[in-house]
Amino acid sequence: MRIRRQETFAALLFLAPFLITLGIFFVFATVRAVYFSFTNYDLFNAPEWVGLRNYQNLFLDELFVTALRNSLIYAAVVTLVQTVGALIMAAILNQRIVGMTFFRTAFYMPSVTSSVVITLIFLWLYQRRGALNYLASQFSTYLPQVLAFLGIVVVAQAVQVLWERSRNMPARAFDPALLVVSLLVAFGVTWALTATGVLMPRSVPDVDFVWLQTRQEVPAGAPVWLRAPVPLIAIMLQNIFTTIPTFMLMFLAALQDVPKSYYEAAALDGASPVQQFLYITIPSVRPVTFLVVTLGLIGTLQMFDQVAIFGNAVPLRSVITLAYFVYNRMFPGAQLPEVGFAAAAAMFLAALTLVIVMIQRLFLRAEGNR
Amino acid sequence: MSAPVSAVPIRMRLSPREAERWLARRRWSRAGLVYLLMLVFSLAFLGPLLFATISSLKPDPLAYPPTLTPPQLSPRNWAAAASLGRQGAGAPFWGGFAPGSRVSFELTYFVPAGIEPETPTVVVPRRRPGAGLGAVQRIDYAADYSEVTAVEEVGREPGTLTVDGEVREGQVVTYRAEVTYVDPDGPRLQRLPLDATAASRDYVFLRGSLPPTRIERRGLVASYDNITPGALGYVFNNYRRVMDEARSVTTGRSLFLSWTANSFFVAIAKVLSTLLFASMAGYALARLRFPGRGLVFVLILFAQMIPTQVIFISNYLVLRDGIFGLSRLWGQATLLNSLWGVILSGLVGAGAVFIMKQFFESIPREVEEAAMIDGATQWQRYSRVVLPMARPALGALTIITFQGAWNDFFWPLVVLTTPEDIKTLPIGLLSFRNAYGGAGDWGLILAGAVLSALPIIVLFIVFQRYFMEGVSYGIGKD
Repeated sequence: MRIRRQETFAALLFLAPFLITLGIFFVFATVRAVYFSFTNYDLFNAPEWVGLRNYQNLFLDELFVTALRNSLIYAAVVTLVQTVGALIMAAILNQRIVGMTFFRTAFYMPSVTSSVVITLIFLWLYQRRGALNYLASQFSTYLPQVLAFLGIVVVAQAVQVLWERSRNMPARAFDPALLVVSLLVAFGVTWALTATGVLMPRSVPDVDFVWLQTRQEVPAGAPVWLRAPVPLIAIMLQNIFTTIPTFMLMFLAALQDVPKSYYEAAALDGASPVQQFLYITIPSVRPVTFLVVTLGLIGTLQMFDQVAIFGNAVPLRSVITLAYFVYNRMFPGAQLPEVGFAAAAAMFLAALTLVIVMIQRLFLRAEGNR
Repeated sequence: MSAPVSAVPIRMRLSPREAERWLARRRWSRAGLVYLLMLVFSLAFLGPLLFATISSLKPDPLAYPPTLTPPQLSPRNWAAAASLGRQGAGAPFWGGFAPGSRVSFELTYFVPAGIEPETPTVVVPRRRPGAGLGAVQRIDYAADYSEVTAVEEVGREPGTLTVDGEVREGQVVTYRAEVTYVDPDGPRLQRLPLDATAASRDYVFLRGSLPPTRIERRGLVASYDNITPGALGYVFNNYRRVMDEARSVTTGRSLFLSWTANSFFVAIAKVLSTLLFASMAGYALARLRFPGRGLVFVLILFAQMIPTQVIFISNYLVLRDGIFGLSRLWGQATLLNSLWGVILSGLVGAGAVFIMKQFFESIPREVEEAAMIDGATQWQRYSRVVLPMARPALGALTIITFQGAWNDFFWPLVVLTTPEDIKTLPIGLLSFRNAYGGAGDWGLILAGAVLSALPIIVLFIVFQRYFMEGVSYGIGKD
């Protein structure tokens, strides 16, 4: 009995710093936020109970509805694109190679650096005379070369595959050995055509796309809940860019545990690479997919930093998210803080995150048990 | 994609040696393509960072078209800048302009045939070093202490110039301008700006001892922000501006240095408190039995799920009141705008406790039993026996916590607002962006961003192994 009590006492001592931090800054904070969300507290006057009015007013606030729309569409697009993109990249790169450490370092770099650094760099790339529009201009100028290159690759590959098959060699449509040759041939021919002046770069005006100071939404004709403002798309691209490599490495780690013999057996049975991807790769990385989607959803639904850093470079309505809405109501500059209202919006954000993650959990789990 | 020719029947028609060679060729090509793709992806993902780093050396990173080889990367310009720095202040590295020095600077023009070359007008302009915060400071102007003592022609040879495919005849004429620091009691200046105006629009500026900072008035004026930069001052001008230009209004200390110090202070304090408290709590949860253990688990899960936006409202008020008045004990009425506020509210995270608990559970209990028989106390068992074994987990925890604290944006943004010196790097960068972004002065913003990312990149490259372990702990938790 004495030992038991000693153990309890020791445990309490060991846990004390953690429990105090947790108690004040999480438990108490959450309880107080719930309480505030039912009051009209404004930091200066004593809070008065207003019942559910804050929650009702949320949906009457146009900015809140915009923030909700932006958050949902942002989370949906970014999570979907980065998960699918990371999985496809991992499947293509799934090969044990020497020097992986170097590539891993390179892939992790964007997610190691802070969101502020990455966002500032992207903000600079997105300027009207920035590097992104320059790249687009270059692409448009050299479009003939790009098209010629791709066309020659396809033709060269087709010719080779047909030729090898006529010799009864087991040539696949995308056989790497033949693809290397096709790429080299296409590169050489395109270069020669350009050097001899047969293929001329087009003279087109510079691309002058406005990424930031615009109220444009795409696709233009779609219903409000399916449209995304252009500045928000800029943030989407940035976020996909920074997270894809990390998720890709997670998928890659999982894929390298899948026995090679599965793929060999499937190939012997005549399964195409696409079929192998669908029926071997995707099922075998399901736990990682689950993790990646969960992390992605939580991260994107609570996106804040990018909105704050883009700041006055973009119209607020085009990029505002729920997380930023809460901050904006808590610290509205010259006006009186609407703490109660901000708390209600925060509770809504928490509930939304929870519900979406739960739905996703049900969905992916159910599929897993099929 | 076309259905593949069924592999089995065809392969049977190949001799084993043929088949083996075919497959070997395929393997090698595939490896080659994978390497190529890896390289392309690496470049794509490092691209923006590398490109921003290169562009941060340029006076104007928005100059169009962007280039990967700015003049700041050319060794010839480094040599010229060093020599000019030596002339200006005997400082080949960081340059300057000191009393008694005389700087000679060459400018080369193309003069079309039929025009008798005239010397350009060379002046030392009164020019502010930059926009934003830098524009408010009092500085000494080189124009007040120096004189252009001579502009003379030093070379002339026939030459041609090609404009839009059309070849023009004419002469290439080089002038030497000499700037002298005339006031013997003047201060040592950091910069010596220079403007050279050609006699007419027919002249085409070809080159100078250094490439001009910008060409103004449709080619008429070659404008230099500093002709005595020194090699490092030439290449890292924006970085020097980051350090020098933004200064605290009250103390005059460099803001960027204060922010860096603050960031290190917060990150190191958080790492130390997390290592100690998370391992203690993790040990108790993994090893000790006590009532309420289940509740603590529930709280840990809960704390990891609750969004920051929910808890920051109350936490802001708690810090404003100095954690229920506790901070008055050490003489702080409020913990807002205090680094201690940021540290105290993040002493130990639930995630860190979870990682340590997982780790301690993986250590067999037998390890402790010997110590228990020897009559060691609970604390001794923890600190002498288990903790030394936890080095890999502590390493991963150090890295994760440091990175999290270093990059943290939202919470410092809420807590640290005034004065400017109290900020950490991420929110400091935000005020750079607000001060300079509007003026389009991106050189300074990019240089600040690159500098602030440097510690974390170095840490990542050195301790990569621990980063990966941190990721695997993250995966393990689900």
